[in-house]
Amino acid sequence: MLLTEMIDIKKDYFLGETVVHALRGIDLTIDKGEFVAIWGPSGSGKTTLLNLIGAIDQPTSGQFYIEGQEIKRLSDNKRTELRNRSIGFIFQGFNLIPVLSALENVMLPLEIRGASFSKAREKALWRLDEVGLSDFVSHRPDKMSGGQQQRVAIARALVTGPSLVIADEPTANLDTGTSKKIIGLMRNLNEKEKTTFIFSTHDQRLLDQVKRLIRLEDGKILDGGIRK
Amino acid sequence: MIKWIKIALRNILKNRRRSFVTLLAIAMGFAAVSIFRGYIHNTYEGLRQSAIRGEGLGHLTIYKEGWLEKGKADPDRYMFSQKEFQRLIDLVEENEDVILATPQINISGLVSNGRTSTIFLANGVIPRDEKTIKGAWASFRPVKGDGLSDKKPYGVEIAEDLASHLDLGPGSYGVVMATTLDGQMNALDIEVAGVYDTGSDATNDKYMRVPLVFAQSLYDTEKADRLVVLLNHWEKTETVRNRLLGKLSVAGLRCEIKTWNELSLFYSKVKGMFDMIFLFIFVIVLIIVVMSVVNTMGMAVLERTREIGTLRALGLKQRGVSILFAIEGAMLGLLGTIFGVILNVAVWGVIRIVEPTYIPPGVSTPVPLIVNLVPQAMLILMVFLILLSLIAAILPARRAARQNVVHALGHV
Repeated sequence: MLLTEMIDIKKDYFLGETVVHALRGIDLTIDKGEFVAIWGPSGSGKTTLLNLIGAIDQPTSGQFYIEGQEIKRLSDNKRTELRNRSIGFIFQGFNLIPVLSALENVMLPLEIRGASFSKAREKALWRLDEVGLSDFVSHRPDKMSGGQQQRVAIARALVTGPSLVIADEPTANLDTGTSKKIIGLMRNLNEKEKTTFIFSTHDQRLLDQVKRLIRLEDGKILDGGIRK
Repeated sequence: MIKWIKIALRNILKNRRRSFVTLLAIAMGFAAVSIFRGYIHNTYEGLRQSAIRGEGLGHLTIYKEGWLEKGKADPDRYMFSQKEFQRLIDLVEENEDVILATPQINISGLVSNGRTSTIFLANGVIPRDEKTIKGAWASFRPVKGDGLSDKKPYGVEIAEDLASHLDLGPGSYGVVMATTLDGQMNALDIEVAGVYDTGSDATNDKYMRVPLVFAQSLYDTEKADRLVVLLNHWEKTETVRNRLLGKLSVAGLRCEIKTWNELSLFYSKVKGMFDMIFLFIFVIVLIIVVMSVVNTMGMAVLERTREIGTLRALGLKQRGVSILFAIEGAMLGLLGTIFGVILNVAVWGVIRIVEPTYIPPGVSTPVPLIVNLVPQAMLILMVFLILLSLIAAILPARRAARQNVVHALGHV
């Protein structure tokens, strides 16, 4: 079942008078429940592509749909609602709110949505337990290791029950062992809950765990864009 | 909402030094404005009492229409006859807020001790009514001697400096001279029944208080130029004036009614000056608070750009980001004003213990420096500064909210 579809997507950046063609005509479809890695060297357009899929950026041209809705037709508020409802984010630098505990960080997307405190707490505790952080619920991010912070970020991305989780280089700041555990955790959640995961990486050692690999170079998909 | 308040509070605590400086600016500003407000509140209260009780203006003064404009040129025509003021008193005293309505007359002339003479201005009053008007104020500026009495129509009270110039004291005798309303010269003996301090250098060398019948006798008339009305509360002054104007008009009495603050030039001038100083201090505090909050929130937005990007990615709308920072600004205002209240009460306590005094310009004796605690004014100032902090935070908050999410996430 189709989750996202991109047709001839282009994205240009303007640096003064210079135009940088970050994406040069992307055709991409992703189904529900997939576990997809986007691989490519630095500057190949991985982050730009993930920003577009995550509806936090707009393409210069082309058509892009998430759950059948064309993103460019949505207002900023509607796109924001869509992100809260359907998309979870895992960032390279974890991006946890430093003044909130692990539990409060995970509760945040639900509270933004307007969920009651008790319901948000219940779901967040369950997600933290799922990522193995039951003993760290009251810890602030600065009191946790990189791996633990990234697991909090995964719990936060999943707490709303999104149909799509986007992870931009989620293991870039982690050592190899922790990286494999994080990818393994994401893989387990994908298999168990059928949540679609799309993550970018330039670490080839992690690619043996993915079901589908999209290779990106110079803003173009070399292979893996359209599922046969 | 609790979540956002929690985040705002924790961020304030996280940046302790910067928050402390901002809170200190708000607290000092609040305390400065509130203490000065407390001081002028006490001063206004004192001046009001001084005008109503001390100067004997009462709350309202009723004149025959035209007296204020043409009374000096043709006093006889614009004074109330005995029959008129008796009717007026009956009508005015029907009002439940009126404690007293009493006729008075202003006179002027020369006062002599037999060797030297000087000019005087005197107020002709009914002694028992004057006591009612003075009330507790009488103990604030006590009269040396027996004071005015209905039983001694020639016994007068004389202001301190005037008594000193003429070498008169309680129990000594003198003569007053004036022109009657018909233009004849008239002179009457006086006995100094009391010496008093008017509280002002400008009037202490020329004022006297005399019984009404004495003043009428000196002017050879049975009339009075005004009716002074004392109310049960000064805040009812305007309401009762309007009510009386209607009532007197219906009764066919053409009168003008002035309030105590319209007649007390000293009160109006001092109030005008203090109001201007208050506005000046208030504007300075306002600028300090706005600049402190804008600076603090501007820094916060800059430092937390990535956090803003994350919140936006997680689904917080632009409005939500604005609210988050606005709450932080309001929290700074709230905490700052709470510290301000503590500072204000501490200064108030110190002033109460030390009891400093000073001599204001034009006043003859030292007066205590008193600062009132005015909870209502403090609350209004508190709400105002909190709203001001909130509004000051909105500018950087809107900037934060409008940031491009991708750029915000990439901010280092």
